[in-house]
Amino acid sequence: MTRYIIRRLLQAIPLLLIISLILFLLMQTMGDPLATMGGRTVTRSEDRKRLTRQLGLDKPLIVQYLYWLVGNDWTKLDLDGDGILETRGTRRGVLRGDFGTSLVNRGVPVTQVIWSRLPNTLLLMLTAEAFILILALIIGIYSALRQYSFLDNIVTTITFFFYSMPVFFFGLGVMYIFAVNFKKWGLPYLPTVGMFEPEAGKSTSQIIWHMVLPVATLSFGFIAGYSRYIRSTMLEVMGQDYVRTAKAKGLPRPQIIYIHALKNAALPIVTIVGLDLPFLLGGAIVTERIFAWPGMGRLFLDHVSRSDTPVVMGILMMIAIAVIVFQIITDVTYAWLDPRIRYK
Amino acid sequence: MKTKPFLRSIAFLIVIFSLAIAACKPATPPPTEVAPPVEETEPVAPPVEEPTQAPEARKVATFIWTQEFDTLNPLYTNMWFSSITQQIWNCWAWDFDDQNAPHPVLVTEMPSKENGGISEDDKTITLTLRDDIVWSDGEPITSADFKFTYEMVIDPKNTVASAYPYDLIASLETPDERTVVISFNEPFAPWAASLWHGLLPEHVLRPVYEAEGTIDNAEWNRAPTVGCGPFTFVEWESGSFARFVANENYWLGKPKLDEIFIRFVPDDASQIAALKAGDGDLGTFFAYSDVPDLEAAGIQIIKVFSGYNEGWFFYLDPEKGHPALQDVRVRQAIAMAFDRFSLAEDLLLGLTQPAVTLWDNTPYADPTLEAWPYDPERAKQLLDEAGWIDTNGDGIRDKDGVELVLTYGTTTREVRQDTQAVAQQQLLEVGIQLELVNFDPDLFFSSYGEGGPAAKGELDIFEYSTTTEFPDPNMADFLCSEIPTDDAPEGVNWESLCDEELDALFRLQATQVDFATRQQTFYQISRMIFEKVYWLGVWQDPDLFGISGSLLNVKLSGATPFFNIFEWDLAE
Repeated sequence: MTRYIIRRLLQAIPLLLIISLILFLLMQTMGDPLATMGGRTVTRSEDRKRLTRQLGLDKPLIVQYLYWLVGNDWTKLDLDGDGILETRGTRRGVLRGDFGTSLVNRGVPVTQVIWSRLPNTLLLMLTAEAFILILALIIGIYSALRQYSFLDNIVTTITFFFYSMPVFFFGLGVMYIFAVNFKKWGLPYLPTVGMFEPEAGKSTSQIIWHMVLPVATLSFGFIAGYSRYIRSTMLEVMGQDYVRTAKAKGLPRPQIIYIHALKNAALPIVTIVGLDLPFLLGGAIVTERIFAWPGMGRLFLDHVSRSDTPVVMGILMMIAIAVIVFQIITDVTYAWLDPRIRYK
Repeated sequence: MKTKPFLRSIAFLIVIFSLAIAACKPATPPPTEVAPPVEETEPVAPPVEEPTQAPEARKVATFIWTQEFDTLNPLYTNMWFSSITQQIWNCWAWDFDDQNAPHPVLVTEMPSKENGGISEDDKTITLTLRDDIVWSDGEPITSADFKFTYEMVIDPKNTVASAYPYDLIASLETPDERTVVISFNEPFAPWAASLWHGLLPEHVLRPVYEAEGTIDNAEWNRAPTVGCGPFTFVEWESGSFARFVANENYWLGKPKLDEIFIRFVPDDASQIAALKAGDGDLGTFFAYSDVPDLEAAGIQIIKVFSGYNEGWFFYLDPEKGHPALQDVRVRQAIAMAFDRFSLAEDLLLGLTQPAVTLWDNTPYADPTLEAWPYDPERAKQLLDEAGWIDTNGDGIRDKDGVELVLTYGTTTREVRQDTQAVAQQQLLEVGIQLELVNFDPDLFFSSYGEGGPAAKGELDIFEYSTTTEFPDPNMADFLCSEIPTDDAPEGVNWESLCDEELDALFRLQATQVDFATRQQTFYQISRMIFEKVYWLGVWQDPDLFGISGSLLNVKLSGATPFFNIFEWDLAE
C-alpha cells in the first residue's frame, strides 16, 4: 500500500506540471489585468506601459510561465524602461514555494491571500458537508426501507423540489423570508449577510448564527441528490443474496441495515464524496457571494474578474493538488470498506 | 479498523481548527469595546455573547460596499471603493464639497494667483501647509511627507497604479516644513483635481523603503494604522469587513461617530436586502431598478454627479471603420433614431436624463446645447441624403453593396444589455441593423495590445460610462496621439478619431489655468463633439447612495464623497 501511494504521488508531479502550463496559458486569454485595474475608467496609456514593464507582463508567455515556475532571482530586469537590465528579480518561483504576489492586492503574497480565506471556506463547507451527509443518510435509508410509503413519496417530492431549485433563488428566498420579512413582522430573525454583527463583535455564537442560512442554502440541493443516491444503492443492496441470508440467520435488523447493507452501499457514496471534497476548498461561489461569506469562492471570482494570474493559479493549483490527494485517500478508503480490493 | 477513528479525528480536528481560526483571526477587540446597549425595542435580538462588563454607548455606522478594496495605499489603486474610503482614514491636500468646490484640508488656502500660490507663468504652484496638521499617531504632517509621497510615485521600483500627474512635474522643492513648491514644464490646468490624492507618512514608510528598496510590500498598504483622516484604521479582514475608529487628533474636529464599519457584500440583491433589513446605514452602486424598493423601505436615495456619463463611442478609422459612420449625417441620424428620453424615463425610472456632453453638470458644458431630439423621420431623411437607401428590400439600408449593419458592443451589465435591445429595435425602424455583443468588463476594456474588442476596432459602436478628471474637465480620449497602434498599443483613443482642430483645442485647454478662458475652450470642444456626434450621450450616470434614516448630517460630493464625514452622526 505504501509503495502504491508513493508511486501515485510521483506520477502526480508531471501531471501537475502539465496542468499548471495549461492553466497558465488559459489564464492569458481571460482578460487584461491592466484594463481598468478595478477602476471605472480605462488605464492611462503611460501608466499601462510602465506597469506592463514593472509587472513583467511585457515578457513572452513562456518566460512569464518560467518566472512563475522557477522564479526570476537569477536574472536582471529593466524596471525604469531605459533599456538597461539593472535590477535583480526577487521571485523564487513555485518550485521553491513562492507563488508570487497578487496583481490586485499588489505586494501581498498569494499564499497570504489564500490563507486569509481558506479557514472561512473550510468552516462553511465542512459544516455543510457534514449536514448534507447526515441528513442524506437518514432520508436515503428511511426511503429505501419504506419504499413507496406515504412518507417516502412525500420525501421524494420534497427532495426533487429542492434539487430543481437554483441556488441563488433559494439563497435569496430564505434571506428575504427569514431575515428581511421575519424582522419586519417582529418574528425571530436571522442575519442577512456577513459573519457577525459589528456591534456584537466576532464570536463563536455570532459565526454559528450567521452560518445558518448559508449552510442551509448549500445543503438542501445536495441533500436531495445524495439522499436519492443513497436510497437507490440501499435498495440495490437490500435485494442482494447475502442480505437475505443475514435475515434468514435471524440477525437483528439494525445490524443487517447498518453493518451489512450500509457498508456495501457506501462504496459509490465514498466515490462521490471523495470527488466532492477537494472542491470544497474552492468554496461555493454563489452562496458565498449572496451571504457575503468571505471564502475561497468569492476570492476566486474577484481575482478571475480582474485577471489576477498569480492568485488564480495559486487557487487552481491548490485544488489540483487536493484532487490528487483526495483521489488517493478515496482509493485507500475503498480498500478499507471492501476487503476484496487490494493495491499492489 | 484503526483508520476509522483516525479519519474521524482528522475531520473533527479540521472543523475545530477552522472554527478557531475563523473566530480568532485577526485579533478583534473584545466585544465590550464595540457592543452598544441591547435595545429592548428590538423584536428579537440574535444571540450575542454576554459582555464581561457594562458596555459604553458607541455610535457605529455600517457601510455596505459591493466591491472590496484591493489596497488601502492611495498610490496603488484605481478602485472607486478604495478611493472613497480614503476620505475616511487618509487625507487629500484639499477636498471638494457637495458643490464640487475645493476647500483646504492640509493647506491654509487654495493656491491662486491672487495669494501668490500660482506663479505668473502658471507653471509653479506653491502650497502653504497648516501648522496644526498631525498624523493619527501625533507626528506632525510636514512638507517632507509631500516630498516622500512624490518620490514614491515616480520611483520605478514602486508599481503604483498611476504616476499622473507627478510624472509631469519638473521639480518639487520643500524650502521649509510648511512649504511645498511644485514646478511644471508647461502650465498645468488640472492640478487641483489631480494632485495629492492621499499622503504617505514618511516616518512610517521610509524605513520600509530603505530596507526593501520599494514600498510595494509594506504592511501599511493593507493595515495603515497611521493615517490623517477623521477616522483611524483598526483592521481589515479579507472579504469580510474593515473597521475605522474616530481619530482623536483630527484637526478639523473630532468625528461624531465612534466607528465606521465597512462590510463587503458583493451581491447586489443581498446589498438591497441588507439595507432593507437595517443591516447597513449606507450603501451605494446599486441599480436604478432597485431605487423604488429601497425608497419604499425608508432608505433615502442621494444622486451624486461625479462626471460619469453613459455614452456611445463610434469607431471612426477612415480605412478600417464602417463607411457609413464616416458620414456625419449618418451619425446624426443614429442620434435622432434612438429615443434616449423614453429610455431614461422607462428603463431608468426617470432618475436621470440623456447626457448632452461629456461635461454635463459641470461649468464646462455649453448651456446652449440640447440633447438630440427623437425624430425618426428626420433620421430617415438624413440617411437618404447620405445615400444609404434600402435597394434590395431586406429592410436594411445599403450603399455601394455595403449593408448598414453595425456591431454594437458593451459590457454584460444588465442595464446596458437592456439598452442594446431598445436601440436595436429603434434603429431597425430607420433601416439600421445593430448586431449586439457583450463582454466581461476586463475583456471589454482590454487594450489594443491585449486584443480588446473596442481598442482593436472590432466594434462599430461601443458603450460605456466614462468621466473626465472630475471635477476637472480634462480628458485624453480624443487626442490623435492616443490612437492605439501596433507600435503604441496602450493608446486610449479607441475611436481612432483624429480631428486636428479638436486635438488642438484639447491640448490648449490643458494649459489654460484661467477658468473663464478654459471654459470658453470647452464650450467649443463640447459643441464640436456634439454637432459631429463624435460621442453620443445616452444618460447621465450619477452615483447612487442609499442612506438609512438614522444617519444624520450627510453631505456627499462627486469628487470626494465623504468630505464632511467627521460631521456625520447617528440618531439616538
